[in-house]
Amino acid sequence: MNCIELEESLVESEDGSSREQRAHLSACPACSGLVEELRSIIATAVELRGSAEPSPQVWNSIEMVLRQEGLIRPQPTPRPALSSFSARWGWARWLAPAAAAVLLSAGILLYRASVADKLAQQVSVAAPALDAGMDDNDFLQEIAAQSPQLRPVYEDNLRRANEYIRDAQSAVNEDPNDAEAARSLMDAYQQKAMLFNIAMDRSLP
Amino acid sequence: MRPEKKTLTDRRQRRGDELSEAAAIERAKQGDAEAFQVLYDMHKRRVYSLCLRMTANTAEAEDLAQEAFLQLYRKIATFRGESAFSTWLHRLSVNVVLMHLRKKGLPVVSLEETTQGGDDDSPKKDFGTEDVALAGSIDRLHLQKAVESLPPGYRSIFVLHDVEGYEHNEIAKIVGCSIGNSKSQLHKARMKLRDLLKLQRAEKAGKA
Repeated sequence: MNCIELEESLVESEDGSSREQRAHLSACPACSGLVEELRSIIATAVELRGSAEPSPQVWNSIEMVLRQEGLIRPQPTPRPALSSFSARWGWARWLAPAAAAVLLSAGILLYRASVADKLAQQVSVAAPALDAGMDDNDFLQEIAAQSPQLRPVYEDNLRRANEYIRDAQSAVNEDPNDAEAARSLMDAYQQKAMLFNIAMDRSLP
Repeated sequence: MRPEKKTLTDRRQRRGDELSEAAAIERAKQGDAEAFQVLYDMHKRRVYSLCLRMTANTAEAEDLAQEAFLQLYRKIATFRGESAFSTWLHRLSVNVVLMHLRKKGLPVVSLEETTQGGDDDSPKKDFGTEDVALAGSIDRLHLQKAVESLPPGYRSIFVLHDVEGYEHNEIAKIVGCSIGNSKSQLHKARMKLRDLLKLQRAEKAGKA
């Protein structure tokens, strides 16, 4: 078996383990290296499985369509009077941070359209105010009270949104004139606002 | 399909304890929103990654993942559990992606005849030449980038076989080619990836 035949034989016997292949490989460093590199590619390929995370918007869109098509149906869940009151009005507590996040995003958008170099300044001024108005723990406790199974999902998404905000904020701080960083910060706050909005939708009677 | 590695994350494990997949399926059949989300969370990475690797485009991958889950939820009432839920979902996702590629006019398997010579797209033989060694040094991100650069026909077969774990006879049925063609395309895809990875390595060395 020569080098060409060895390579052709890898179509059927990819690991180079047949008797003829082994005989050639033991005497040919080039082909031996080739087989080793292909093995390495095959081994690394498995790591690509399930390695990417879709954005939160994907589930949001799916849920919207499911509701529009009537595939999601309201579940009858009897609650005690106090809990019922909380379920009915608890969502109102999320209105403020959700609205703040939406307003901040809108403000950023409008501002960006007019004066790009002041954009980051506005973001950095407004963002701490939004952060101060939000209590993530209260939010998660409310989720846990109403849908314990969803708490880990919201916790995870909230953590990601906060990390995104921190990263984007850091980029804006580094270069206040970086429009891309400012856009990322706006996206980050929109993601957080979306989380509150989804939670609020679930709480409505 | 080869069995997948059991690598549940802590979070997934925790949620799995709270609501098993079987229970979530039954509740989703009743229209329970939380059950839909639990199922989505269990499988979103696998489905989205498949779509992303096959299309090499984030926006398309998100649209296709969304479409796959919607098709799944619309049909979930018909799921009787004869096959694994994940197998059902992944096969459905593959079909959604292949349909999309066909609509775009992209080949799901390379059109070249594997038995004929003069293949312009085939990797060049480089036996006996000075070479950048790759073995033992391929990381996921570099491979991911190289897979994105593969021609669509090669990419489909590589993703289905080496990433997703489908066997050649399954791939032949899914994409509508012969088993021999699937094997040949896979080998060429791997050889092309090897070239692309070496190119990446050489470019990186040139910049340094």
